[in-house]
Amino acid sequence: MTWHPGDDVVEVLRGPKPGGPGGVYRAFGETLRGLKTTFARIPEGPTTIQYPEEKVPVYPRFRGRHRLHRFEDTGLEKCVGCSLCAAACPSDCIRVVAAENTPEHRVSAGERYAAVYEINLSRCIFCGYCEVACPFDAITLGHDFEMSDYHRSDLIFTKEMLLTEPLERTPLRAEGE
Amino acid sequence: MPRPDRKTITFSIDGREVEAPEGTMLVDAAKLGDVEIPVFCYEPKLGAPVGACRMCLVEIEGIPKLQAGCATPVKDGMVVHTQTDKVRAAQNSVVEFLLVNHPLDCPVCDKGGECPLQDITFGWGRGRSRVVEPKRHFEKPLALSPLIAIDRERCILCYRCVRFSQEVSEDYQLVLQERGSESFVATFDGHPYVAPFSGNIIELCPVGALTSQPYRFRARPWDIEQSGSVCNLCPGQCNVSYTVRDDRVLRVLARDHHEVDDGWLCDRGRFAYQAMHVDERITAPMVRDGGVLREVTWERALEEAAKALGRAKGAVGAIAGGSTTNEEGFLLQRLVRETLGSPHVDSRASGALPIGLHAALSAPATQATVPDVEFAHAVLVLDTELVDDMPILDLRVRKGVRRNRVKLAVATSRPSSLDANAKAVARFAPGAGEAFVAALEAAIAGSPIGELAAAAGAEEDAVTAVADLLREAGEDVVIVWGERLTHGPRAVQAAQALLKVSSRLNPNPHPGAGLLEVPAGANARGLREVGVLPGIGPGLTEAAPGLDTPGIAAAAANGELPALYFLHTDPLRDLPDRATWQRALDRASTVIAHGAFLTEGLREFATVVFPTEAPAAKEGTLTHTDGRLQRMRQAIGHPGDSRSEWQVLAELSKRLGDDLQLFTAPMVYAQVVDSVPFYAGISLDDIGGVGVRWPAREAASAWPAGESAPVGLEAPAAAASPNGKLRVGTFRSVWAAPEVEASPALKFLAPKQRAELAPSDAARLGIGHGEHVLVGGVPAVAHLRTGTPEGTVFLEEGIEAAPAAAITDPLAEVTKA
Ligand code: SF4
Ligand code: SF4
Ligand code: SF4
Ligand code: SF4
Ligand code: FES
Repeated sequence: MTWHPGDDVVEVLRGPKPGGPGGVYRAFGETLRGLKTTFARIPEGPTTIQYPEEKVPVYPRFRGRHRLHRFEDTGLEKCVGCSLCAAACPSDCIRVVAAENTPEHRVSAGERYAAVYEINLSRCIFCGYCEVACPFDAITLGHDFEMSDYHRSDLIFTKEMLLTEPLERTPLRAEGE
Repeated sequence: MPRPDRKTITFSIDGREVEAPEGTMLVDAAKLGDVEIPVFCYEPKLGAPVGACRMCLVEIEGIPKLQAGCATPVKDGMVVHTQTDKVRAAQNSVVEFLLVNHPLDCPVCDKGGECPLQDITFGWGRGRSRVVEPKRHFEKPLALSPLIAIDRERCILCYRCVRFSQEVSEDYQLVLQERGSESFVATFDGHPYVAPFSGNIIELCPVGALTSQPYRFRARPWDIEQSGSVCNLCPGQCNVSYTVRDDRVLRVLARDHHEVDDGWLCDRGRFAYQAMHVDERITAPMVRDGGVLREVTWERALEEAAKALGRAKGAVGAIAGGSTTNEEGFLLQRLVRETLGSPHVDSRASGALPIGLHAALSAPATQATVPDVEFAHAVLVLDTELVDDMPILDLRVRKGVRRNRVKLAVATSRPSSLDANAKAVARFAPGAGEAFVAALEAAIAGSPIGELAAAAGAEEDAVTAVADLLREAGEDVVIVWGERLTHGPRAVQAAQALLKVSSRLNPNPHPGAGLLEVPAGANARGLREVGVLPGIGPGLTEAAPGLDTPGIAAAAANGELPALYFLHTDPLRDLPDRATWQRALDRASTVIAHGAFLTEGLREFATVVFPTEAPAAKEGTLTHTDGRLQRMRQAIGHPGDSRSEWQVLAELSKRLGDDLQLFTAPMVYAQVVDSVPFYAGISLDDIGGVGVRWPAREAASAWPAGESAPVGLEAPAAAASPNGKLRVGTFRSVWAAPEVEASPALKFLAPKQRAELAPSDAARLGIGHGEHVLVGGVPAVAHLRTGTPEGTVFLEEGIEAAPAAAITDPLAEVTKA
């Protein structure tokens, strides 16, 4: 059944009817036009990136795996365990349990510190809201995106894991690259 | 004073016509028109407004300056604006001023996320501050007490905490020191703020200046869930809300119920939640095996218990403690009476009363309610120390006296903390309650009382003064009487005398006056109504006569009751006459107990122990002493494969051949309602979050007729004459409870045995304050207290290390240890 567009359509564009010269053009002309692009690229050589041997550099503002930071001078954790990141997180994947600093056991600069700080990376959507929420710049999203693992539970990153530098650094895209 | 009659008036706020009761403060009246006026210092529970913070400024037509909405009563035809530029500018500035010295350290502040200062700054503030000057600094955080941390930098000087201490709990400990912006909240001499109600200031503080030490940094509002329930630690049955994170209770908040707790909690109710999660708590059933209690599977424990009970059919004694719910009490009496065919169940420490007296003492017509205490013409506090027995009612009595000029009379053996508020005070010898009430009755009737007063060990003038006050105050007289009055062998006579006093004071029973009992157990009234009494079945019906608590002890000690069942009570700790109980427990071959902690009786004698659920894990109903059915709701799960206690009781019945077909807690409740006619028609939904007072419903007509008091009272038993020795009285402090000892935060309050002596007696015996003494063989520390009647010594009950229950004589010798 042919489709009838109705009276209010001013003009309907239709391709050439099958058979005849129109058909021949469609079989060869259009195909050749496409192949022209293909052949024109041959001299440039292959551009496939050989991941994982080779890594795509990321943009500076790429949002990858989180990092928790310490003060460079004192070595104290910047995070005070305020849970604001947990409140901001849309996928509810941060868990903070705070505790109190004592003179003998000082972990952070404020009164409280995060005794437990966990991010469930299998749930994280890398929106970066936690970074925006943090009043102390204690948490930032880094550049690492290689986080696959064999067990779901291994994707729950603890405070210690988040505080250490990643083993391998993800290359950063250079200016203008 | 009777409740004031308020006219309704109409005023206009932001262009809306709103109706409100005359005299309501503007901020409250505005809420009736859905207009919010921000406040900090205003808290109607604290009494008259002070207008300290100026956050509530509004514009009232006809008054050139802005007015404090919290301190301006609404009048007919008033035109109020809260949205004008002038008001907004004022609000902006007040917030800016409040923040001049505020550190804004929200990320480390425990109030963050539930802080009125955050909310109001966000909603009514300017958004930025122009103040660049340095802020004031204090050392922080400091411990105001082991339970409360104070951060003086955050204080906005709203006076709420100070007003609570001065005008509500009247412990007069908190004060503001210095002047102006230098002011800070402190105790008079830096002493820790330890008081029975101190925790309330944490909830009152509108900023993070006062925070709870046990809750410190535990969670943020978005980490937690609130779950409403009822506190089952004392007969106050305050409405509480548990803060739960990761299936653990981290905090208890008040759930304001004007007719129960007025929005306050005592510190036991507020902090004893910690005992729910300590390691000492029993979480698995135990069976005595080769002399030691060992944790076993549920199957094994139930099997052992069922077998042992089956062997002892017809000779089982069961006692329910005060924290037992109606459902558990009902199932217990059903198990013992019907399945095991033994009539010996009780829930009172001693003194069995006939149905008629129980019915008369709690009759719906003469039942006073908790708010009645606040609006009566006169209140008599009889033989109870409210701050220990029902703390929350203590605050209500103080409120009535302070705000409504209620005339208070106190008649107790031990000096009461309410003495200072009372217009008349009478003391009588410990245990001579019956004689005192008889003397009071005679005094009210205008007969001579010389002999009776002497028998009671009371001063004639004091008795007459109390009688005169009650007789002349007005028609609304509420008698708040302690269950202790009807303990002991002369319980019946004491109850009759009390009824006689009541009928003399309230010859025409009417709402707003009557009797209000302060029972010894949290759910004592509920347990009586569901039939946990000897010879009285569910709904106060006749049942086969059985032994009462002292009878059970004696029978078991003679080897007549081989099996004993204790629901939430440890007889060695909670019940009088320790020696008999020791023999009874020793003699009984089966001792089944439900308990939360391995207290002495359980540790030494129980053969099967079932774990008591944490209060927050419990589902069930309680009956408040003024007849309000309330619901405990489950807030946390049972640890491991733990079972509810009603399930244990139902399962035992089933194994003993009486399948009750109970699968859920509401099904048990349905059976309770079926057997208690005056509960008829009250569904769990009706009870809901605020409870239902059954005496105010139609089904209350099913309450049995009370025994009317006899025309003449027989001569009461006289108090023993000291004769060189001292009369021994006992009291149970609010802190003498296993959950206080088990809570890390409250432990420091767990009492040690002390002997309260009159200074004159102490001087005669050559005993100084703080010296170690022996009272009838019980070791204690002498505590000289002025006001203690001469010839009397008071010991604390419920202390495991030095049990006052070891003394059975009314007299004892006090010697230096
Ligand atoms: S990046 Fe987004 S989703 Fe992931 S943890 Fe942070 S807030 Fe949560
Ligand atoms: S990372 Fe930042 S926002 Fe999260 S808890 Fe720590 S300090 Fe607070
Ligand atoms: S400590 Fe809190 S309640 Fe007390 S005056 Fe300061 S802000 Fe008000
Ligand atoms: S007064 Fe009684 S019911 Fe209220 S919180 Fe304290 S212990 Fe619980
Ligand atoms: S709320 Fe009115 S002055 Fe504080």
